[in-house]
Amino acid sequence: MGDWMKQDFPIFSREINGRPLVYLDNAATTQKPSCVIDAMSNYYSSSNANVHRAVHTLAGEATEGYEECRKLLKSRYNCDYAVITSGTTEAINLAARAWGEYNLRAGDAVILTEMEHHSDIVPWQMLAERIAIELRFIPVENGQLDMEAFDVALEGAKLVCVVHTSNVLGIRNPVEEIINKSKAVNAKVLIDAAQAVPHELIDFKELGADFLAFSAHKMCGPTGIGALLISEDAFSEMKPFMGGGDMIETVTLQGSTYQSNEHKFEAGTPRIAEGFGWAAALEWISKVDLESHHTRLLEIARDVSRQLKEKGMTVYSSLGSEDAAVVSFTHPTIHPEDFARLLDAQGIAVRTGHHCAQPLMERLGVNGTIRASFYLYNDESDASIFLSGIDRVLEAMA
Amino acid sequence: MTWPDSIQEIIEEFQEIEDQFERLEVLMDFSSEVDELPVEEWNDSNLVKGCQSIAHIEVAIRDEKVWIKAAADAKMVQGLQGILSIAVNGSTPQTVLELTPAFAEEAGILVTLTPSRSNGFRTMFDMVQHRVKEAIK
Repeated sequence: MGDWMKQDFPIFSREINGRPLVYLDNAATTQKPSCVIDAMSNYYSSSNANVHRAVHTLAGEATEGYEECRKLLKSRYNCDYAVITSGTTEAINLAARAWGEYNLRAGDAVILTEMEHHSDIVPWQMLAERIAIELRFIPVENGQLDMEAFDVALEGAKLVCVVHTSNVLGIRNPVEEIINKSKAVNAKVLIDAAQAVPHELIDFKELGADFLAFSAHKMCGPTGIGALLISEDAFSEMKPFMGGGDMIETVTLQGSTYQSNEHKFEAGTPRIAEGFGWAAALEWISKVDLESHHTRLLEIARDVSRQLKEKGMTVYSSLGSEDAAVVSFTHPTIHPEDFARLLDAQGIAVRTGHHCAQPLMERLGVNGTIRASFYLYNDESDASIFLSGIDRVLEAMA
Repeated sequence: MTWPDSIQEIIEEFQEIEDQFERLEVLMDFSSEVDELPVEEWNDSNLVKGCQSIAHIEVAIRDEKVWIKAAADAKMVQGLQGILSIAVNGSTPQTVLELTPAFAEEAGILVTLTPSRSNGFRTMFDMVQHRVKEAIK
């Protein structure tokens, strides 16, 4: 199944260390189909101009292409406000600065989890340094969020920030339950959906969160661009934190007024080429049946997980029916970096380390894991080459 | 550039290998050249800072010759430490200070590694030279 799709991705025609590329580092970033590369290249070669202000033809085309990306985001994810950012990290920082700083007070509780990516921990720690909010971390037990601890922590909480799908384990958290419970106590909810939107279609309004942060590059779009989807209620409570061009309505020497739409949070020249690229990726992915791929990839990941266990590996991903096809594992004696380097020598790309989730690593009792993450273009043959590659590493290290 | 014989041999050994996997295997084989620094002697002072994996190097000068003991959690880092041991152990401080990490580039050892790890090699190399410089002050 992945084979025909690979034809859309020029990178799969290259070899790494004399072997065809087997790319299993999709949770870090995905590969780009030709239509995305072409859209960015065409923008630079035929429509390059700055957006919004000018009246000439090129500026019109640039504006239309860039705003098309926002339009597609709003329609695909069913939301009224989509602020375009540099990625998930900036989206979460934007929520912390533009909403958190103006709506939280000293002593207010913000709930996070031990499963968060650093980008959903550090902005809140920085905010805590500035305005002395209290951070409450929900523990992870056996790879799952401790929902009893969540119920206790929720009392008096003003904001709940939770990762939808873990980048380390692939586990999909019970976000619907978390949102419902949070809303019952009038807490706002931010969902880090970086690993979720590549795998499932989210209806933002139906989900009921206040903020949804994600990146283009994990769903076959370009790097350097992402979005923060915002509920109407939360949007009305936000104030710009970054000033400059494009976000203003009027500027005098005495003061300035700001735009009323998403532009007020997008100071400066935006990522125009990336907007063209992401729009192409959104159109491309809209033709993909994510659900059937999810089932297919999960089966592959489960088979890989089973075989890794048979080969003596400890696998940390539980691969439940809603989880992403991510297999995080360690070997009892072989260092993850040695493992990954020896796989790379065979053309196989995986990730090692703490995956920007050091608190979770501490909870798992490891310094790092080896992570194989599967995406749309991967198939059984990739899994088979990966497992043979593992065998060769084990032989070499015996 | 000419190198001491021991280094020249390493350069030639690596240059002869074409397969990347085999190069890494050979690199790991050099771990046996390390005079191991026991865990109980690991401390902040001999910790290699800026290395992604855990690595320690203790530098000593005995009878006017440089000797290193080393340890690391990753086998490939141990291999790099083995090559470093061959390059410096038993040499005079002056010889060690005159060495450059360029021999590793010439052997293509660094090409086989990610930037973080090849920087790790330079960090270890710099640390040894720095300690030697301090010791002969």
